[in-house]
Amino acid sequence: MAGRRFILGALFTLALAAAAGQAVAQPCLIFVHGKQTDTNTYTSYTSARNYWVNGTHDFVKTATKNFATPYYVVGYNGTRPYWEAQSAGEVANEIVAATNGIADGGGHRCTKTYAQGGTFWIIAHSMGGTVMDWILGNNDASDPNFNFNGPYDQVAQRASMVITTGGAHRGSQGADAVCLQGNVLCSFIAIFIQSCDDATYWLRSSDDVQVRTYANAPAKTIWLTAGYEAIFGSSACLNGEDDGVVQYASSFACSGSATASYDNTNVCNNSNKQEASGFANLDGAAENHSDERDDSDSDTRRAVPTGIWTCSGVTCAPNTVVQSSMTTARFISILY
Amino acid sequence: MSILNRLAVTSLGLCALAAPVLAQAQIPAPDAGAFARHAAAEYRQLARYPESSRVLAPGAIDPIREKRMPTKQTVRGPEGTASLSVWASKVSVEVGKPVDLFAQISSPARPALPLEVTGEIANAAGIVAQVTYHDDGKAPDVKAADGIWSVRLAMPAGLEPESAESYMVRVKARLLDGDVRESAGGFLYSNPAAHLTGRYRDSIVDGNLVIAAQVDVKEAGRFHLAGTLYTLKGEPVGTAQAAAQLQPGRQWINLSFYGLMFHDRNVAGPFRLGSLAFSTTSRMPNALNDLVENAYVTKPFKLAVMTARPFGDVKLLDAAARLEAE
Repeated sequence: MAGRRFILGALFTLALAAAAGQAVAQPCLIFVHGKQTDTNTYTSYTSARNYWVNGTHDFVKTATKNFATPYYVVGYNGTRPYWEAQSAGEVANEIVAATNGIADGGGHRCTKTYAQGGTFWIIAHSMGGTVMDWILGNNDASDPNFNFNGPYDQVAQRASMVITTGGAHRGSQGADAVCLQGNVLCSFIAIFIQSCDDATYWLRSSDDVQVRTYANAPAKTIWLTAGYEAIFGSSACLNGEDDGVVQYASSFACSGSATASYDNTNVCNNSNKQEASGFANLDGAAENHSDERDDSDSDTRRAVPTGIWTCSGVTCAPNTVVQSSMTTARFISILY
Repeated sequence: MSILNRLAVTSLGLCALAAPVLAQAQIPAPDAGAFARHAAAEYRQLARYPESSRVLAPGAIDPIREKRMPTKQTVRGPEGTASLSVWASKVSVEVGKPVDLFAQISSPARPALPLEVTGEIANAAGIVAQVTYHDDGKAPDVKAADGIWSVRLAMPAGLEPESAESYMVRVKARLLDGDVRESAGGFLYSNPAAHLTGRYRDSIVDGNLVIAAQVDVKEAGRFHLAGTLYTLKGEPVGTAQAAAQLQPGRQWINLSFYGLMFHDRNVAGPFRLGSLAFSTTSRMPNALNDLVENAYVTKPFKLAVMTARPFGDVKLLDAAARLEAE
């Protein structure tokens, strides 16, 4: 694996050089939101769309280069466990619909369908990452929960890749704190999570609720970026760097304990993920859990081990500041 | 950004002064298109194998075993004070078997000894059991006064799930100085609808090594089997998985290890089926059987009988081609 990764790294470097100055076609971006405290994003397109908005800041607008790139916004029931029909099943059905050129609730559609040769990038935040792990890890007839409640196989075939921002791949210590109901400092987390509902219960860091316990390696690569801007109070409950809700061990899908303490210098590399393949690092951002999905905090970005940024032709040393002011939405917009 | 956030940012900023910050103003952004081609190259590599069977790199951990190994859940104390870690002896415990629960107080700065450690076992309906941990060297506690507190839990009768149920273990440690630490772990309480009988057989089919495992099914359902093949020297070589809808009675499930892995790793048999994970996957949560280790040793094989042909997963190759065309 290590040898293969080296070769791929070299290929990537060569590709970077070869691609300079070339015009490229655009994928369709499909947005999958995170945990919710009510069912509004499931019943209202406006709520699902506004998940990505904060005042004048709009993640979708920035990631799509001022709407120049086609997009589709998914809405599902974010109060249900990641594996249920109204969460994973709904997400899978909507992604397939998007790849067939069907419009989302706001009338936005992927202009080039899968049948027409289109490509589709899934952008998922927080619990949206867990949902995508589940779908893409159960897409094959040999997987433990193949097509459990939706067309996972079609999603896996049609999705080109997934990019997660603050993905709760190994759960959240914020969810642990809310369900434990013990630490006063952790009450700040209630701003985001509020209660130990069914979705929260299944986002804890315990092995028995982890998505990796019930899924195989994802069929398509899940690229990982995470926030390290702590939130006063709640971050006291999280180990290592975190975005106030999800700790690095989870947002970078690390193997081992979901509560291990990591930072930009030592977070797990691409050979030490929760699955043997299918997860790869991008970078870390000085954003909190909200900033990651609403484009409101253009701040520092730093390299992480086996990340995407190159310095003088090689992967930048971990913790190197690679951008002084760039949101995750903007970062995604420069990847295509 | 809230005032609280600004405080945190300021704090981070101060920390950053000590970091190896670089003069990076001129670091180029990743090139548009190159990212997609990078993903495409990865897919072309993966396409050499079917999704049901993959080679492992030399030195890689066994991913099947890794998923069944319990991990610690750790909650740190404020400002570097004592943290509390909790874990269970298994990710999943089968009905009728006990599970051992552990707790450990760790303090890098100064000793922080617990006075007592207690736990509540709860499901969605509420608390089903309460336990008191001990550090007395009596089973399941391994060593007295080593800081690891232990208790053996036998689930109360009447809680046998139809398939499986998740239980949260809420642990409270009261320290000698009066402080309290709390942490939460958990385990799965499983009632699988089938079990491995311990009978295995192997053969070469179309250049692949097929190991069949016999299972005894007591209730019809969907079942999943995953295994990792090792050399006799103990090096993991590759994985295979299979799923099947089975009726009651004795049945066989085939694990097909794709032949190319033996060429890629340049190893020939005999091989050891080092870890084997069986589960009932008719519903969620799945019911997990106990992991079986060192289940079987195959006959010796010559490398020449194994296929050296890349599988050519058409879905991955198609995805790669589309990305390359972007």
